[in-house]
Amino acid sequence: MTEPPYFLLLMSTTAWLELIASGLITGGIYALVALGLNLQYGLMRILNIAHGEFLMVGAYLTWLVQTQFGISPLLMVPVAFLVLLVLGVVLHFLCFRRLTATSPNLDVFEARGLMVAFGLMFLVQNFVSWLWGGDLRGYDYLTEPVKFGEVQFAANKLLVFFLALLFSGALIVLLRMTLLGKGVRALMQSPIGAQLMGIDTKRLHPLMFGIGLGLSGIAGALLSMAYTITPYMGQPYTVTALIVITLGGFGSMSGALLGGLFLGVIEALGMHFTNPSLKALLSYAVFIAVLLLRPEGLFARKGRKA
Amino acid sequence: MVQQTKRTLLKGTAAAVGAATFAPHLFAAAPVRVGYAMARTGPWTGGAQVSQEPNYLLWAEQQNAAGGLNVKGEKRPIELISSDDRSDIETCVRSYEKLMGSDKVDLVLPPWGSNANFAVAPLANRFGYPFLAPTALSKRLIEMKLPYFFLLLQQPKPMCEALVDMLKANGAKTIAVIYVDDLFGLENYAALKVALQGTGIQMVEDKSYPGGVKDLSPVLRSMKDKNPDAFVGFTYPPDTILASKQAKEIGFNPKYFYASVGTAFQLYRNVMTPAGAEGVLGMGSWNSKTSPGAKAYFDAHTKKFGGKEPDRWASGATWAGLEILTNAVKTHGLDRKAIRDYVANTTHKTILGDIKFVGSENVGTPGTVGQWQKGEFEVVWPAKVATAKLAPKPAW
Repeated sequence: MTEPPYFLLLMSTTAWLELIASGLITGGIYALVALGLNLQYGLMRILNIAHGEFLMVGAYLTWLVQTQFGISPLLMVPVAFLVLLVLGVVLHFLCFRRLTATSPNLDVFEARGLMVAFGLMFLVQNFVSWLWGGDLRGYDYLTEPVKFGEVQFAANKLLVFFLALLFSGALIVLLRMTLLGKGVRALMQSPIGAQLMGIDTKRLHPLMFGIGLGLSGIAGALLSMAYTITPYMGQPYTVTALIVITLGGFGSMSGALLGGLFLGVIEALGMHFTNPSLKALLSYAVFIAVLLLRPEGLFARKGRKA
Repeated sequence: MVQQTKRTLLKGTAAAVGAATFAPHLFAAAPVRVGYAMARTGPWTGGAQVSQEPNYLLWAEQQNAAGGLNVKGEKRPIELISSDDRSDIETCVRSYEKLMGSDKVDLVLPPWGSNANFAVAPLANRFGYPFLAPTALSKRLIEMKLPYFFLLLQQPKPMCEALVDMLKANGAKTIAVIYVDDLFGLENYAALKVALQGTGIQMVEDKSYPGGVKDLSPVLRSMKDKNPDAFVGFTYPPDTILASKQAKEIGFNPKYFYASVGTAFQLYRNVMTPAGAEGVLGMGSWNSKTSPGAKAYFDAHTKKFGGKEPDRWASGATWAGLEILTNAVKTHGLDRKAIRDYVANTTHKTILGDIKFVGSENVGTPGTVGQWQKGEFEVVWPAKVATAKLAPKPAW
């Protein structure tokens, strides 16, 4: 019988469980961050580079009402979703509607959309910085640890994790099971075909963009429970989201969820056995390997989305 | 050429007297132009807008309210000329180049952080501007031996010696360390290792991490398994809070929990709650009990910024630097060489106590350790500057 490698024996089963669970929790957060962008880029080809900025807006709204009025951050989750949904529909009306109308094809639309999103990124970031200042902010919410036998985790992280699973699941169901989801998928397969079949693209597009923004609002509201926030917190989340949706396959919600969890576990193991300073190296190594070996995404089946 | 008649002269004088009566500010002395660049956007903002810029604004306001800055007996208003450096070294250097090279301001105040100061200090030195930096922590900056450059904050060596002294005196035997992998973290980590030599305190774990890290729990869990007496983090504000929250989350309860930048911020108490912050150690060197001047400063700061407190470490150093500069200008005017010599060769009375410089380093303020106790960040080590006794840290 071959023995397992030496380093595997150094840790007890509990320690392993703990490590993997903490990786899964971080991974769940990654998946949550990626949801909105996945909808926008994966399904609509709007590479919303300002994704992290809208997440930050959700986080600030939550922080504001929590510290000013003592309203529970949990109640702010749906509020942040609605506020950003409306903002998304308005932004779509102002920017992307024109782009859709004037771009000759999808590639040009994508390139122009990226430019617009860059502009939005600076606008939103500076607006928040002007409104609330550049200080670090944060508050205390559900930081008490929850014990499972010998293993324990922060309640707010667990909450974020379960809600990440919940929202991913809800989106998967929405896209696969409902007429709305069918319409969205049809739209992506063939915009003209979808129009000919009577799908109201003029309404569907803004709505989906709005939902994408709403989801980043949810992510922001939840993240503000666990992390400190600043107007400049967005960009790293955008990068994480891009990595996760590439891992999972563009537009695939279940892929993004699995991709996020996978990345979280890989990072946790890597940090434990090497050094947190090498974390970025590790995530990019996984990213590059996936791009080289399975460019369609780790969990995507060809020819089928969501 | 216009002929100057008696009548025009008379008119002119009358107009001048009239104006002086009704609008005296028109006749006030020329302003003292003080320039600086400061992070108002970007990742440095969190530190810069707590420890540094509010102090510049408060100082200018206080001086102007008292009739202006005393320039060798003449009161002149302070005009702050400032811009956002966007947390970008390139922008920061250019801003100072413009301030000193083409705007030729009377004085400059330093930017935020070790990295920015590292880049701007040689420039200020070349232009001959005295530079009293409150938020720079680096042995290398001192080794550059720039005559116009002064560092107000205690450096890694005294800070780590004070910490190790305290740990040793209280019987700590083992220690686990994390440090951010930049100049600040590396220098402190090196200084800590030197300070630990010959003390018998064993370093059971040491790990570096990148700035902006989102999860430290895998590292903290492996530290928890080794059960050290003390945890030391050379951390920046977001990571200070992250490490504290996650230590609580996983039930990592060393007897001494020490973190660096941000521990002395009001934010820390807000985010961790006063009960959660209780007993946490960190870099801090003053509070409003340190001196009557410190109390007056603390109160004025809190009043002006609507309840926003100065931090108990670098804010004090920023204010002390402004006190030194104010006195220098009072005795030597705006002669920058004379100001430099005055700063270099005088023992300064400040809110932090006596400050004096050897080369660029402030050797007057001893290395200190601070601790959150009942909602206030107290200085607990060494005894001669302590505002409270070291208290045991309750479990998170």
